[in-house]
Amino acid sequence: MIAYIIRRLLYTIPIVFGVLLLTFVLFNVVGGDVTDQIAGKAASKETREEIRREYGWDKPLFLSLDSQFRHHLQNAVTFDFGRSWSDRELVIDKIRRGAGPSLSLTIPMFLGTLVVSVSLALVVAFLRGTIIDILAVLLCVAGMSIPFLSFILFGQYFLAFKWGLFPVFFSPDLAMVQYLALPVLIGIAAGLGGNLRFYRTVMLDEMRSDYVRTAFAKGLNAGRVLFKHVLKNAMIPIITRVVLAIPFLFLGSLLLERFFGIPGLGYLMIEAIGGRDFQVIGAMTYIGALLFVVFNLITDICYCLVDPRVSLE
Amino acid sequence: MLLVIAGCDGSGSVVDSNEVVLHAALTAKVRGLDPGDIGDVTSSVVGSQIFECLYQYHYLKRPYELICQLAEDMPEVSEDGLTYTIKIKRGVYFADDRCFEQGRGRELKASDFVFAWKRIANIKYLSKNWWIFDNKIVGLDEFREYTKSCKSAADVDYSYPVEGLTTSDDYTLVIKLKKPWPQITYLLAHLPTAPIAKEAADFYGKDIINHPVGTGPFKLKLWHRGSYIELVKNPNFRGEFYPSEGQADDLAEGYLADASRKLPMVDRILMMVVQEDPPRWFLFMQGKIDVSGIPKDNFNEAIDQRGGLTAQMQKRGITLRIFRDPSTYWLGFNMEDEVLSKNKPLREAISCAVDREKYIELFTNNRGEVAYGFVPPLMRAYDPQIKRITKTVYNPAKARQLVKQAERIYGGRLPKLTLAMPGTDVVIRQRGEFLSRCFKEAGLDVEIDYMDWPTFQNKVKTKSAQMFALGWIADYPDAENFLQLFYSRNASPGPNNFNYSNPEFDSIYEQIAVMPDSDERTRLYRKAERIVVEDCPAVFLMHGVAYVLHHDWLYNYKPHAFGYGLSKYRRIDNTKRLAYKQLLKAVK
Repeated sequence: MIAYIIRRLLYTIPIVFGVLLLTFVLFNVVGGDVTDQIAGKAASKETREEIRREYGWDKPLFLSLDSQFRHHLQNAVTFDFGRSWSDRELVIDKIRRGAGPSLSLTIPMFLGTLVVSVSLALVVAFLRGTIIDILAVLLCVAGMSIPFLSFILFGQYFLAFKWGLFPVFFSPDLAMVQYLALPVLIGIAAGLGGNLRFYRTVMLDEMRSDYVRTAFAKGLNAGRVLFKHVLKNAMIPIITRVVLAIPFLFLGSLLLERFFGIPGLGYLMIEAIGGRDFQVIGAMTYIGALLFVVFNLITDICYCLVDPRVSLE
Repeated sequence: MLLVIAGCDGSGSVVDSNEVVLHAALTAKVRGLDPGDIGDVTSSVVGSQIFECLYQYHYLKRPYELICQLAEDMPEVSEDGLTYTIKIKRGVYFADDRCFEQGRGRELKASDFVFAWKRIANIKYLSKNWWIFDNKIVGLDEFREYTKSCKSAADVDYSYPVEGLTTSDDYTLVIKLKKPWPQITYLLAHLPTAPIAKEAADFYGKDIINHPVGTGPFKLKLWHRGSYIELVKNPNFRGEFYPSEGQADDLAEGYLADASRKLPMVDRILMMVVQEDPPRWFLFMQGKIDVSGIPKDNFNEAIDQRGGLTAQMQKRGITLRIFRDPSTYWLGFNMEDEVLSKNKPLREAISCAVDREKYIELFTNNRGEVAYGFVPPLMRAYDPQIKRITKTVYNPAKARQLVKQAERIYGGRLPKLTLAMPGTDVVIRQRGEFLSRCFKEAGLDVEIDYMDWPTFQNKVKTKSAQMFALGWIADYPDAENFLQLFYSRNASPGPNNFNYSNPEFDSIYEQIAVMPDSDERTRLYRKAERIVVEDCPAVFLMHGVAYVLHHDWLYNYKPHAFGYGLSKYRRIDNTKRLAYKQLLKAVK
């Protein structure tokens, strides 16, 4: 297993290099020039040249020891992403500051969705074919069809503005749990449809297995069969979905953050994309890729832990 | 259920009920609080509460009038208009900050202005605001040349002499100009010209964007980037008083009720960044922010068919303020484009094809005025005759005739034209659809090209956009700020995005650019505008009209088109704010 882990870690090198190369080409070759944006109105040619010099955009792209790509690689390896050109703040400071609020929002949202949807999926699968099952599937499809923005607008208007159950927006005078409660609730509600439907399918596959019939025949109660046997055997698809979703938690939730004033990384990323702040986009993409590769490896290790039939070679 | 209990609104507040707090919403994030590099409105609004300039606009008087802020008096100008001597106030102190010895703010000196302006000139500092001083002050361009030879911004020696920027003593600033520049006093009221303490620049280095150290009425307490900013009273503030005179109706409007009161009148300002319209509107209706614009989707909720406040708004004690803003929006033509530049009937046809009134109704809820020229109506040089002079008002029949003329000049069927739109969102697309329909009705084939702002800007600045939707909001109340947009030497990448060139216009512009304010200058301004309107380098669409709502606990909200640092004039009545909470409960 250790040899496997080392081998997989070595595989990450070309993958991350590929990501860095791709982002570099996309932003620096295809993405266009942002000098005019930095220079402000009525900037002279010399000012623009100075900006290019300051950010190193006057250097050759590749094939030189002093090339832009060499600096791009070096910055990535040392996690020194420089300063954002849009507001001159250190990119790493932005990411550090945004990670907390983003994770405070996405982790409870993710765990809430997971617990609720897996539990409901077990119940619904157990009651397959009944009116409850049909109703649940209908609601799932409806939930998946409604745009995320509609959930936000509905929740913010009715639950916060009209009924006053939650604060409408972030305020420094509020405790974190107060202003995060509604966006988390909306996130769980919006994510429930797709997740419940997926886990229901997984559970149904397991419920049709012989061992379930055997367990019931032996007189085990439904709770024990569902939570001890079915859930355990359904872990492989659950783990795949769960672990691979974790890196995306880091990227935050763009719409929720924007509508509820949570200064997280989703917000940061969309501002950077809108303003072509390549330093920020590049750093976020790189960190996202690293997390994705690492969590992919963790997924494989988890397979081995939950299913004795899987061995890592 | 746990989440509902956790979220229950009402507890958690740690606010002192006697404290007077102004609650505001910012519609964009603050980029930085270093005045030398501030170029956006939101950062200017926040920065202007912290920093001060030599001059400021009188809060109440209209037309807009400059008065002293850090200057002791208006500048003494030499007869040739080339030397400005400005005395600065004594006893003005920077806010306390750890960049100073023992953390105590020191007295402002004339040399702080010299340092701030040299800093903008320093090419390594990459200021967005060099345009203010470019080729204006004797020796400053040479200083900029010198900074090119330095390795970094920190290596620049600010004692390097600049002949046109000197101090005869600690409180006297002497500015020598290369040629007369009558607009200089307006620029001296512009935030980027605020003085900077060298200690702060040296101490914080590039992080000075996060550590503003000014002389203004407020100082930064907390800034959670992208989320909120909290300002508190600056105890070192020099002491300023609410104006005791204004316009004729100011007394009746209650704007003089606080005459001669010491400023600022609030203890704290809390500014939240709320970029989306729905939460901003909800916060305003809940009384959690004091002032708000009216989102397009909530316009009918706030404004009735007669243009006044709806009964619901009146019941809540909300006040409506309507004012003209110094803006003009247009569809510009690239006058270096092969097809458009040589075909005036084509440009006129495009202009006659656009139904401005419908455009204003559809996209601004009638919050705009049809533009016939480019000088907005609130400017003193606005030409009331311009409507009669322009030949390109909306007239689809005339547009169709002009298209035929244009085809004759072109020598056949006109090629497809392209209009660049600065955005890809729904509203921009709706605007594009509307314009496309207008052009189609006139027999014009125009492709609407939607793109993000950086791509758009790049296209315009590299002269590769054939037509583009853009506008201009004046920096100061002098129509010269608009006229420079058509001066041939300012062609792209300069501010003349039209790449318009007319020797007659240029000659008038060069004449008026150095003329002090006079009736003759106004006459020439109008003449220059008429030349441009006749040449039709753009479809002038509209001038903006702003609608602002505020609650009845906020006093002294007089709309101002050019001033940013206005929070010091506001007064809050906490009793009324509390009463609103009761009212909301009753409404529920």
